[in-house]
Amino acid sequence: MIFIFGPLWSGKREVACTILGCDREELARRAVWDVQELARGREDLEALAEELSAHEIVIATEVGGGVVPVDRAEREARERAGRLCCLLAQRADAAVRVFCGIPTVIKGELS
Amino acid sequence: MTTLVVGGAASGKSAYAEELLCARSGTARRVYLATMEPFGAEAEARIERHRALRRDRGFETVECFVDLPNAAIPRGSAVLLEDVGNLCANELFSPQGAPEQAARRILDGVERLRTLCRELVIVSNEVFSGGSGYENSTLEYLSVLSYVNRKLAAAADAVCEVSCGIAVYHKGERVR
Repeated sequence: MIFIFGPLWSGKREVACTILGCDREELARRAVWDVQELARGREDLEALAEELSAHEIVIATEVGGGVVPVDRAEREARERAGRLCCLLAQRADAAVRVFCGIPTVIKGELS
Repeated sequence: MTTLVVGGAASGKSAYAEELLCARSGTARRVYLATMEPFGAEAEARIERHRALRRDRGFETVECFVDLPNAAIPRGSAVLLEDVGNLCANELFSPQGAPEQAARRILDGVERLRTLCRELVIVSNEVFSGGSGYENSTLEYLSVLSYVNRKLAAAADAVCEVSCGIAVYHKGERVR
């Protein structure tokens, strides 16, 4: 599994298409994105990470770079999103961070 | 050469961008392309102070709040454009702006700068890591700015991210 993450609208899916050599339609079958949203309210993050790792590519948006949210539910969701990303990066063969559309491999390598 | 310098608030991106431009401008005229609209006396005083500081370092200041393609830039100059986040906000929300053509105007304007000037350093903003829980106009701003950033990064010779005053290059490298 390749884990791709980066800020909002930084071009992560575009990078995923380039890595797989596919279009957006095929990407929908081979990858999953916005997984940070799936962490919301989940206690079993390990199980979620395991489940997601079955995809060729897992994509998450970084959401932990702002001020701590006042709302408790938002605070928890943000925490879980960050922890899920750590679990996914651990399981990934390669982790790629995208910045302004430019990918940087920060773990492993793309074969 | 065109370099895109991106960073968060108070990341040191401005100082790095200015130092980079000065190092690379040689004998070319140094132009600071200012994008911040002065609102009120406090802002004007602040802008005047910065302008005086830059004058000491050999910069002339050209103001451009909207409509970048028509900025009055001398041919062959070295330009520091600061910053794209302001230009985006002005195009989207200022009375003189063109919300529908915000991205187009900025990208066309930069393309023209690339052909006009000898050296170009563009400063833009990283504001995309704090989630998406914003109201619609803010989301629209983020959407336009992120698109512009990606297009500028694709066109630039070098792209770096500045944090704590340190530049990490994502594309190309620093020349001198």
